[in-house]
Amino acid sequence: MKKCSCSFGKKLGKFLLKFCGIFVALNAVIFVIFFFDLDGKLLFNVVEPFLKKHYDNMERRDVLKEPYDLNKFPVYKYDD
Amino acid sequence: MKDLKHLIFFEKLLQEANNDLVKQGKADGKRAIGYTCYFMPEVLLDLPGCFSVRLRAPGCTSPDIATYYLSGRVCHYARSLLERALEGGYNFLDAQMGTETCTATCRFQEHLQQKHLDSVDDMRIIDNDDFFCTFTDIPFKNSENSYNHFETQLRAHVLDPLHEKFGIDTSDEAILKTIEAHNEVCRLINEIGEYRKLDNPTITGYEFHVIQLVSLTCPKYLILPYLRETAEEMKTREPDLKKNFRCKVVLAGSENDDPDFTKLVESCGALVVCDRFCYGAVESRIPIEVKEGQSPLRAIAEHYLKTSNCPRFMPQDEMRARKKRLAELAEEYHADGIIVASNKFCEYWSYERVIDTFILKRDYGIPVCSIEKEYINSASGQLRTRFQAFVESIEIKQIQEGN
Amino acid sequence: MAKKKLTKTLKDFWNGKPHSGEEGGRRLGDLYEDKTGLLKHREWRGVKDTFYYMYNIWGYNYVHMVLDILKFSNNPIDFIKGTWRYRWMGQTYLPVIHWFERGLQGVRGEALRASAWHYRAMVSASIHQICNFFNADTRLHGGKENDAYRHTIFANETTCGTLFYPWKDAGYQYLPMEMIPYFVTCHVNSHTVLNYIDAVQSIGLPGDPCPMCQAESGLFVLDDVPDSAPIIITCNEACDASVSTHTLQDWFANKPLFALPIPMQFDDPLLKKYCMNEIEEMWKFIEEQTGVPFSWESMKKYLERQNKLQRDEWEKWEVASKTDFYPINGVAQALFRIYSTQYGIQGDFWEEASEKVKKIMYKCVEKKINPFPQTRHRVIAWSCAPLYYSNWCTWAYNCWGLNTIINMDSLMFDMEIRTDSYENMLEDMATYHMWAPMRRMAVGGMHHIFELWDYMKRFNCDMVAMYDQLQCKGMQGVHGLFEDEFRKRNINAFWIPHALPDSRTVSRAEIRRQINDYMTTVMHEEPLDPSLLDFDDSMTW
Repeated sequence: MKKCSCSFGKKLGKFLLKFCGIFVALNAVIFVIFFFDLDGKLLFNVVEPFLKKHYDNMERRDVLKEPYDLNKFPVYKYDD
Repeated sequence: MKDLKHLIFFEKLLQEANNDLVKQGKADGKRAIGYTCYFMPEVLLDLPGCFSVRLRAPGCTSPDIATYYLSGRVCHYARSLLERALEGGYNFLDAQMGTETCTATCRFQEHLQQKHLDSVDDMRIIDNDDFFCTFTDIPFKNSENSYNHFETQLRAHVLDPLHEKFGIDTSDEAILKTIEAHNEVCRLINEIGEYRKLDNPTITGYEFHVIQLVSLTCPKYLILPYLRETAEEMKTREPDLKKNFRCKVVLAGSENDDPDFTKLVESCGALVVCDRFCYGAVESRIPIEVKEGQSPLRAIAEHYLKTSNCPRFMPQDEMRARKKRLAELAEEYHADGIIVASNKFCEYWSYERVIDTFILKRDYGIPVCSIEKEYINSASGQLRTRFQAFVESIEIKQIQEGN
Repeated sequence: MAKKKLTKTLKDFWNGKPHSGEEGGRRLGDLYEDKTGLLKHREWRGVKDTFYYMYNIWGYNYVHMVLDILKFSNNPIDFIKGTWRYRWMGQTYLPVIHWFERGLQGVRGEALRASAWHYRAMVSASIHQICNFFNADTRLHGGKENDAYRHTIFANETTCGTLFYPWKDAGYQYLPMEMIPYFVTCHVNSHTVLNYIDAVQSIGLPGDPCPMCQAESGLFVLDDVPDSAPIIITCNEACDASVSTHTLQDWFANKPLFALPIPMQFDDPLLKKYCMNEIEEMWKFIEEQTGVPFSWESMKKYLERQNKLQRDEWEKWEVASKTDFYPINGVAQALFRIYSTQYGIQGDFWEEASEKVKKIMYKCVEKKINPFPQTRHRVIAWSCAPLYYSNWCTWAYNCWGLNTIINMDSLMFDMEIRTDSYENMLEDMATYHMWAPMRRMAVGGMHHIFELWDYMKRFNCDMVAMYDQLQCKGMQGVHGLFEDEFRKRNINAFWIPHALPDSRTVSRAEIRRQINDYMTTVMHEEPLDPSLLDFDDSMTW
């Protein structure tokens, strides 16, 4: 019983230690990203140029070819 | 062609706002009422006892003080008007009938409005104790609600102040009588303008522009005899045997009270046969019709909204119909192309010009020359090159079409 | 000596470095990378504020951006598709946290907490709009017009959301066409909008009309407006260029379009009836197009919520004007107000943020906490602000102690709308619409722009930051009179030249230089943080 409790305690202790370790490590990583503005640097130097290239090369509808119909729509007047 | 008898006189009248006929009108004891925009019905400012003067600032090339007040980034027209006002050029005015139809001219007119700011009061731009300035709100649509609104506005901000301050008779009878005189001016201008539809027109765009402008800037009762005589003279005027133009064009666009601009276009070989711009005759010289049972003021309110093709109208059907109207004018006046000219900083026409340039060419097959100009065109060399190229392109098109 | 140094180091670690420019001050300007405006590292604001910022602002908002997408989107895949399709989406909204950073730089304590809630609400409302765009966009759904499409009404961004409350309970969504693709993007990432300005100029529009309108048209030229609604409402807010913008938009969108003109000379009592009729006509158009009648209950319900929000704002302004305990900085005040009034009550975001801010504000009042202790001048910012540098006031406080208390845009829709009867509501609605942003003061009779003196008094301000939008004809047209009046009244005022969204016309550095010059040559003051006087952020978002 005693042995068992000790082993459970050890396991719990290990788990807590591991959990705390992961928690601290995760927070440390997040803190590094946050503090050194790594998110901003990634977005500015990698993501935005990539997306810009994509949007610049995208095929777009030539809106100047859109018809300019005179009678397509009714006259929207409601006060007569 | 033989010179028009009164052309030089007319040209002289356009040299300054306070011209000989305006002075004579004032000497006759009449009140001079200034305005800038088509939406201010000139006919109401021509009621017995007063006369309308559509403001111009001829020869104003460097509006320095006005640029301090309005900055160098609003249209040259508004700045020139303010400069002229600051110089004392409009001191003859007894009232200014303002409209907030475009921002720049509105701001100019607000500077004339006294006593709502210490600085403006100090400025006392119009040195005339009787002077006042009112603003009329102009609708953006053609609808019953707009007509009702416009009629109410004209009563409250034009007729009532004229009556209260100057004792002007604003009865229906007086308005009807003024409409008659106004319609005579319209009839005469249209009669003169009809000659532009001839195969070889007997009047140039420049001459017509001058005639139209004097009708806007002088007391009607004083200019009428000259217009009658000119209309009579036109009946027998012979064209030059050889056509002295290479193509005919409609001149459309924003504010243009500079006949020298029309002259510049024509010197490049393009005869201006139709003038669809602010200060032009296409809209402003359509006679006012008073229907049976209609009050004359109501007729005026409807007339000025229905006849205008200003890009300020917002409804979808009206926005789109404007382009068709321009194409119809080109056909009616047998024009080979259209020049769309907008004043620098004119926001309405900057956009309208873009659409006109594409749609008129694409949907109506009409060549379009799209230019931006100043109120006073000092950059005439550049414009000349543009117009010459346009004329050549029309000629090439005609050759290709076998005409 | 060493002990003193250690004590200071520990103190700086715990509290953050002091604001002032003395030896050992925080020197925020040194944090910037050259040109990009990125940070070498974020500011150490002391233990409490740094970790508050990291967890409750930076982390919280990253997580909540995702949660908002899940909450407002019918299908999150549409969000990804939309990001790939629309430049304004992909290029802009990724750096949104940096938008927080720029606005909240140097801000500490309660001001940091309260101002961030304003930002949070704006992000949430923006995601709400983005999701509504994508839920209904036919381009993301194989050209099909789905239920969301049929329940969306497009409007020009200056047509305020209030007008569409009557159809809200029937499931209709008002979507200001340009607010997200243009207006918000300029604040978050000012690069994007340049594409739209260039696009419209490429088809022949000159460069001098208002750049806001140019960008609004350019969105259509580049075909970058989602196809999310069957109908469009436009209005003439705020100027000539706005009217003209619709001529291009009408052509390129090619949909049923109703124009809602708002009269200009709004002081004139004769205008009201006309304006009320115009609004009613617009409602008839919506009824006709949707087949759903106007609902007074729906209108009343949302108006009452909006009125409550307005009263909250007045409460906040009362504290801002009469005390030094108002915890919102200049940019958070201005943007929250303009976003919330323009979009209207379309979700809970504004009310939630307002409640939280009020709580923080009353804590400041009770405990007499001055959130901006380095204030040297209480500034009122007048006219329309540079969108690409809306956070200039954060810089101005950090560098010079200029605390922007209120601004013109905040004061626009400054009224409640009566809900006791339809007639009263309609009458107030007309006034409300005529008091729209860039409208109430900028047009409709120049005397309203000169209400500045009254507001200076009301908000207890001693200095004016006068925005000088170089392409706004209305504001340029009163430039000289302002100069005259400032001199005559002996008011300290500096000009901020700018071109609304276009950072190429007047750079941020130039704006700073103008303010620096004024503060040194006219005011003869020394900067609080000299490292912020001159730095190169020409390429920044």
